[in-house]
Amino acid sequence: MQFGFTYHRPASVIELCELLNRYGAKCKILAGGTDLIVDIRAGLKKYDYIVDIKNIPELNELSFSKQKGLSIGAAVTCSQLIEDSTAQKKYHLLCECAETIASYPLRNRATIVGNIVNASPCADTAPGLLCLDAQVLIKSSSGEKTIALKDFFEGVKKVKLAPNEFVSKIIVPPASAEAKGAYMKLKRIKGHDLSLVSVAMAVIKKNIIRVAIASAAPTPVILPDFSKNTKVDEIINVALKTVKPIDDIRSSKDYRLHMIGVYIKRLYEQLIK
Amino acid sequence: MKTITFTVNGQKYTREVEEHKTLLRFLREDISLTGTKEGCGAGECGACTVLLNSKPVNACLVLAVEIDGKEVITIEGIAQDGKLSPLQEAFERHHAIQCGFCTPGMIISAHSLLQRNPNPKREDIQEAIEGNFCRCTGYLQIIEAIEDAAEQLKPKKSKKR
Ligand SMILES: Cc1cc2nc3c(=O)[nH]c(=O)nc-3n(C[C@H](O)[C@H](O)[C@H](O)COP(=O)(O)OP(=O)(O)OC[C@H]3O[C@@H](n4cnc5c(N)ncnc54)[C@H](O)[C@@H]3O)c2cc1C
Ligand code: FES
Ligand code: FES
Repeated sequence: MQFGFTYHRPASVIELCELLNRYGAKCKILAGGTDLIVDIRAGLKKYDYIVDIKNIPELNELSFSKQKGLSIGAAVTCSQLIEDSTAQKKYHLLCECAETIASYPLRNRATIVGNIVNASPCADTAPGLLCLDAQVLIKSSSGEKTIALKDFFEGVKKVKLAPNEFVSKIIVPPASAEAKGAYMKLKRIKGHDLSLVSVAMAVIKKNIIRVAIASAAPTPVILPDFSKNTKVDEIINVALKTVKPIDDIRSSKDYRLHMIGVYIKRLYEQLIK
Repeated sequence: MKTITFTVNGQKYTREVEEHKTLLRFLREDISLTGTKEGCGAGECGACTVLLNSKPVNACLVLAVEIDGKEVITIEGIAQDGKLSPLQEAFERHHAIQCGFCTPGMIISAHSLLQRNPNPKREDIQEAIEGNFCRCTGYLQIIEAIEDAAEQLKPKKSKKR
C-alpha cells in the first residue's frame, strides 16, 4: 500500500512520549496535516506510524498571563489564534501573520506549531514570532527544555528536534505584548498563495526595532535589534547583507532583494516615522 | 483498519476504515456521498470542502479516522426535506454554476460564511471563497448569488433599513 500507515491517537503526553520512544524515526506527528498529508499523498514521505496529537487536552490550550505571556499549544489552529480577542489585542502582529496563511478552511486545520516545525523558508508565522522573541518548549520522556525560535531553525524544513522529542507549545514572552507591528507578504495573486518574500517589523517596548524576513534564506531570518533612532537605510543595508535569497519558480533573487527594501521602507514609515 | 463512529448530515454511522484513507475518499467511496468533489487532492482548490464540527475544512487533507466522534455536513446535507436552501436557490437564479464541479465546495464555504456573518461585505465574501477555485463560471455571479442569499436570509425588520 503506497500510503499505508498505522494511526495512533494518544490521549496524554505520557502516551505520546511512549509512542515516540517506541517508534522513533518510523513515526511522524500529525497536527493539522496540511503539510504532512500533502507530502504523504504526493509520495514524498513515507511513515509506518502516524501519531495524531489533537486529542491531548494540554496541547489544545491557548492562554495568556501577565507573567508568562502567550502560550500556544501544539494543537492550536491558526483560526483559534486569530479568533482569540486577547491574542489580537496583545500580539496583533502574530495574528496578522497567521491571517495570511492559505484559506479559511486551511486555517481551521493548520496549527501555529506545525507551521514552525515544518520550517519552510516561507512559513508565515515565523517573521512575527521571531520579532516577538518566541520560545519553543520541547518535551520528551526524559524532560523538557526551552529554546529560542531563532535557534530552533536549522535549514530548509529542518529544525532542532530529535525523533523522541515533540514541541509542546510556543511561548511569546510578556515583554513583547502590545508591541506595535505589521507584516507585509508579497504574493503572485491576491487570493491564497505562498509568499515570494515577506517582512515583519515590530517596535518592542517602544524603543527597539525588530525586523524578520521569510522566503529570503534557507530559514526565516531575524536581524539584530535596532534602536528606535536607526535610519531606515541602515536597516535595509543590514537586511540585504543578512539574507541569501535564490532564484526559483516563485520569484527571482533580484525581485526578492528589491522588495525587501521596499517593504522595510513601507513598514518603517507606517510604524516609526 | 479502525472502527469509527461519527455523524454525517445528521445520520449516525459506525464503520471500519483504512487508516490512510482521506475523509474525501471515505465519503465518496464508503458512504456513497459523491457530491463532495476531488479537484487537486492537496488543499489548493476547495472542491472537497465540508463542515467538520461546523467548520469548513478541506476533506482531502483530513484522514477519515480523524472524524471519530465528530459531525460532518456535506453538500447533501444543505438541502432540507428535498428543498434547496435559499443559498442554493440563489446560485441557480444567478447562473453561478456552469460545470458545477466547484459548486458543492463553494456552497459549503458560503453557507458557513452566512452562519458566521449574516451581513457580509463583498470583501468578506471574497475572503470566504478564497480557497474555492472556479474554472468556468467566473466569480462575479457566485459573489452576487451569495450577496442575494444574504439579503433573502435577513429578518424582515432589518431589510427596511
Ligand atoms: C493549499 C495550501 C496553502 C498553504 N499556504 C500557506 C501559506 O500561505 N503560508 C504558510 O506559511 N504555510 C502555508 N501552507 C502550509 C501549512 O498549511 C502550514 O505550514 C501549517 O501551519 C502547518 O500546520 P499543520 O498543523 O497542518 O502541520 P502538519 O502537517 O500536521 O505538520 C507539519 C510538520 O510538523 C510536524 N509537527 C507538527 N506538530 C508537531 C509537534 N507539536 N511536534 C513535533 N513535530 C510536529 C509534523 O510531523 C510535520 O512534519 C499551505 C498549505 C497548503 C496545503
Ligand atoms: S481536492 Fe481538496 S482542496 Fe482540492
Ligand atoms: S462551475 Fe465549473 S468550476 Fe466552477
